Amino acid sequence: MSELDRRTFLTRSAVLLGAGGVGGAGAIVRAATKTAEASAVPAEPTATQEWNVSQTQLSRREPFDGPHQAGILTPAPAQATFAALDSLAPDRKTLEEALRALSVRARELTEGAPIPLLEVDDPPADSGILGPSNDPDVLTVTIAFGASLFDKRYGLSPRRPRELIKMPTFSVDELDPAQSHGDVLLQICAHQRDTVVHTLRELLRSVRGTLQLRWNIDGFSGAARGPSPHNSPRNLFAFRDGTANPPTGDAALMNKLVWVADGEPAWAVGGTYQVARIIRQHVEFWDRVGLNEQENMIGRVRSSGAPLGGTTEFEKPRYDLDPHGKRIPLDAHIRLANPRTPATEDQRILRRGFNYTRGFDTAGQLDQGLMFVAFNQSPERQFATIQQRLSAEPMIDYITPVGGGYFFAPPGARGESDWVGSGLFAT
Amino acid sequence: MSMPSSITSRWTTTAVAAVCIALAAFFAVTALGVGRHHARPAASAPYTLTPFATYEARAPHVLSTTVVNSDQGAVQGAAATPPSVLPPLPASAFNGPTAQYRAYAVGQLGLMESQLKRLQSALAANDRTGAQVAWRAVYVRYLRLGAVYLVGPLAILNQAIDGNASGLPGGTASPQFKGLHRIEYGLWTSAQPRTLLSQARLLNLNVRRLRGVLGKISIAPLEYATRAHEILEDAARDLLSGADVPWSQEGVLATNAGLQATEEVIATLRPSLMGRENTIPIVKAELAALRSTMASIAAAHGGRLPSNAQLTQAQSELLNGTLGGALEALSQVPGSLETELPPQIPQIPKRDARIEP
Repeated sequence: MSELDRRTFLTRSAVLLGAGGVGGAGAIVRAATKTAEASAVPAEPTATQEWNVSQTQLSRREPFDGPHQAGILTPAPAQATFAALDSLAPDRKTLEEALRALSVRARELTEGAPIPLLEVDDPPADSGILGPSNDPDVLTVTIAFGASLFDKRYGLSPRRPRELIKMPTFSVDELDPAQSHGDVLLQICAHQRDTVVHTLRELLRSVRGTLQLRWNIDGFSGAARGPSPHNSPRNLFAFRDGTANPPTGDAALMNKLVWVADGEPAWAVGGTYQVARIIRQHVEFWDRVGLNEQENMIGRVRSSGAPLGGTTEFEKPRYDLDPHGKRIPLDAHIRLANPRTPATEDQRILRRGFNYTRGFDTAGQLDQGLMFVAFNQSPERQFATIQQRLSAEPMIDYITPVGGGYFFAPPGARGESDWVGSGLFAT
Repeated sequence: MSMPSSITSRWTTTAVAAVCIALAAFFAVTALGVGRHHARPAASAPYTLTPFATYEARAPHVLSTTVVNSDQGAVQGAAATPPSVLPPLPASAFNGPTAQYRAYAVGQLGLMESQLKRLQSALAANDRTGAQVAWRAVYVRYLRLGAVYLVGPLAILNQAIDGNASGLPGGTASPQFKGLHRIEYGLWTSAQPRTLLSQARLLNLNVRRLRGVLGKISIAPLEYATRAHEILEDAARDLLSGADVPWSQEGVLATNAGLQATEEVIATLRPSLMGRENTIPIVKAELAALRSTMASIAAAHGGRLPSNAQLTQAQSELLNGTLGGALEALSQVPGSLETELPPQIPQIPKRDARIEP
């Protein structure tokens, strides 16, 4: 039977199943176990209909395998979820199998495929919330490990990445243990919300009983509202975020700032440290602050994103010509975060954060903020150094870091037979 | 100018809707006038817009926000925004108000010391209930200092008196964790009250130290004007949320202390604010509404302000909403009291301003 015939056949059987119940169709479906269920051919949109989702975008793939994991240099899409998991595995072998299963399932989902049909009296192989076929939708799944995975349980401590520690409590932090740290961090990104929701559900199912949720938070990007496609999206303080990110297309620079190399265990080379921080933004308070004060706290013009005294977002702030902070205050966020001096060049980080909103607190204040994500080669040299500089910035009154952690994202899997983190278990 | 609380609360809850509808009306009118936008024909019946004047009367502080936000300049960035139409106040206009507040703050610390004596007696007697009552009195007395910025060396003293455990390595186990919240932690968990006596003595010592220097500190005009809304901003962020009072949950009582401190600040600023942007009548009305909300909640709890957890949902919404209304009004105070126009920001020299990718 040719591929086309089989698809047609299965379509018909699916219709039969839907119309006639399980009776006679069951045998047909059983015979088709593990083969693909095909979707009904969608009706061509007429001139008056509009798809609310671009079909071209849904079919775009971001490869799971490669020297580095996807979701790090990949441009941030619209939607994300972050899930920290703790391992319940009684031994190293069980942990290894669970981590392998994560990669296998993540690879399937990022490639996209029709859902296999199982016997009709069995639970379906996939929750099916994206329909009979899982479109890739530029899905990325980035898997990272927390310091606790390298404790005594699995004998992995000799292989711990050199700088992987439990995230320290910085002076502005009010970390809630229930939203902090964890053995494994999943970063799931795609353009559509339902793709992300589906992926989390499927990945958790693949490791049920072994990797258990510790905390989870959803994120979204501000839409690209211009004026040009290059302008950075806005965070929930309304300022553009990510303007000064190092260019991800510069491989040599990424080797200096993002990927770990010498001095780290061999299995870790090609990976990167992922700093994930849930930073609550007190938005009502912020909205009651004068525009002038807001802009001086950040150091940029709110509307354009230009450094104060400039007109366009990517203009250089020229601190060298402003040593006394006449243009951009010396304690402005952008100035402390990246002073742009030769000495601070190697402290730069690659930010890939998402906004979040999740209800409100008992004081009726919205719980909104930034799921801050930074990839860097050395948290000590880079993220923590920047964080220390920011400890006295005026913006600290308007934010409260409440969770997150330090993680290490291993190098990517080398192909179908490999999985993320395999090097950690190689004997 | 006091108003029945039920009416005020309704005004506050309609405020958000009011601003949305008002803005929608503004943009709809603009779009029609300019003719650039061609609105799609509505599928159902069009909105019925409430006349703008209705909101002007009902939610004056929201109206003032609307005007600022709908100003094209405001969305173009501060540099492009027309400066305030008010002539700046001389910095000397703040001399009287800050001196008045300083004297008031020193007086509050004096009262705090005598209340601390009662706390120490209760702790010495190992009387948990008595000590909790005394702790509440001491704590809210300290919050009455709201408008004093304790920075520099005073920040260390403030941390020793009112610092919380978060941000400290080891949290509640840290030796740096002391003062009011260390005692709160002990009194509302299982510690024997008498074991907290040394903490209370240390607290007393630090309060006395603070009283010794408080009368001499200077309060900058801009800081003082900003404190008019920041005291209650802190309450919304840290007290009603329970973040700063995790064990006693006395956020309502603490917010009430913030209200009292704010009223003190506004009283000192009243002469300077008179006739400036209609701020004083709006602030007065909103603070009165918050005061009457507090009174109604206390009345429903046998004359005592309840803990955060004891608030019913309706009381919680009423308090959060009224506090939000007060904060929107108070946020106009700093702008109404500018002592100088914002300096012109020098342009980045074009010759050297290379554009990055």
